[in-house]
Amino acid sequence: MRGGGLGMSDRTETGSGGSDRERLRDVVLAVAGGDRAAFETLYRLTAAKLFGVCLRILGKRSDAEDVLQETYTTIWHKAGLFDPERASPITWLVMIARNKAIDRARADAGEQHAAPIELADDLRDDAPEPASAAEAEDSGRRLDRCLEQLEPRQRTLIRTAFFDGATYESLAARSGAPLGSVKSWIRRGLIKLKACLEP
Amino acid sequence: MSGRDDMAAPADRSYLAAEYVLGVLDARQRREVELLIARDRAFAREVAAWQVHLAPLADEIEPVEPPMHILPRLRSSLFAQRRGGGLLESLGFWRWLAAGTGAVAAAALAGVFVLSRPKPVPTPPTAAPMLATIKLDDGRPAFIATIDLAQGTMLVLPVTATIPPDKVPELWLIPPGDVPHSLGVVDVAHPVAIAIPPALRSAVSLQAAVAISVEPPGGSPTGQPTGPVIAKGGISSI
Repeated sequence: MRGGGLGMSDRTETGSGGSDRERLRDVVLAVAGGDRAAFETLYRLTAAKLFGVCLRILGKRSDAEDVLQETYTTIWHKAGLFDPERASPITWLVMIARNKAIDRARADAGEQHAAPIELADDLRDDAPEPASAAEAEDSGRRLDRCLEQLEPRQRTLIRTAFFDGATYESLAARSGAPLGSVKSWIRRGLIKLKACLEP
Repeated sequence: MSGRDDMAAPADRSYLAAEYVLGVLDARQRREVELLIARDRAFAREVAAWQVHLAPLADEIEPVEPPMHILPRLRSSLFAQRRGGGLLESLGFWRWLAAGTGAVAAAALAGVFVLSRPKPVPTPPTAAPMLATIKLDDGRPAFIATIDLAQGTMLVLPVTATIPPDKVPELWLIPPGDVPHSLGVVDVAHPVAIAIPPALRSAVSLQAAVAISVEPPGGSPTGQPTGPVIAKGGISSI
């Protein structure tokens, strides 16, 4: 489920040798120093991931291509702002791509996502299968566990909002639920998440 | 944690950080949050914490190979590599060139600049530093640039340039009788250091002109100016 490309979370460190994150960190730091070869390496390592992120939010390939180019332009100019103490390199890169994609989505009048969202109205647990118990509790696993503690509709809305970069209004329209309820479910879900993630 | 709905002020702001990272805010709210991030460190830390919290979700997004042309475009816009002659795609650009540019008298500005410039890197006496003043049509400087040929670098400082929010300024070098060569994308808010491509260094002279055109993000897709030229100027010795 989390396959493909670079992991976002610390789990890459628990994998084979824990080298992905460190390697990427070194590459970003080299880019910050103006190293063009490092920039190309960074692109090759991460472009598919970031393009996937942009495409998921924007839907349209041509928009996602524009935003991908903007994203790497920003990365080249702002790599000096990357703080390895604060976030993993892939988190930093993905968040730049998401921000640019969401800004683009807001700038376009049209609706990017129309697929209906089905919300469970009870506490039936339809959580995804938990990952292997043998897996260490890294940040990704912790988020899974904390999301599983939410009501199904809170979890569905939060996940959809993140993947699609959708506004409250769009989530309300797609789920057929009142705007106030959608807001309140998401906000309560976020509070629970925070309590679970920052015990 | 119960699901109570009492939203005290601090909690409200905490929603805002999470809501921003989650992506549910509209354009206006996003700009407000960005201002808040810029001036409130505690809030910026909250945003960063939420980014780290939610980031693992992105693991579930399948990577998609982007088209091949993106990396070459980035390369040419960011690294200002010289590309083949190309057709003239900006009439306005050539109109001003035809009107004759000549060397711009930048003595006054040079004086101001020398007073305020940072400690110079020691340069061999063989290549004196040069100055380019890139002016708007009304004569006000849009950018000034110091050129250090010994190091092959150029520092481009914005002065009064403005540009539409979805565009970028691109800097061009025009040797006499030649087509424009991109020196890369610059910035209206921050100084940008440019490495002059070795192939172009011999073309940087007191006879060359420089110009700024308005281009899509990432710079001209064609290797020649595609948008209006908003500022132009000459190169002088300091």
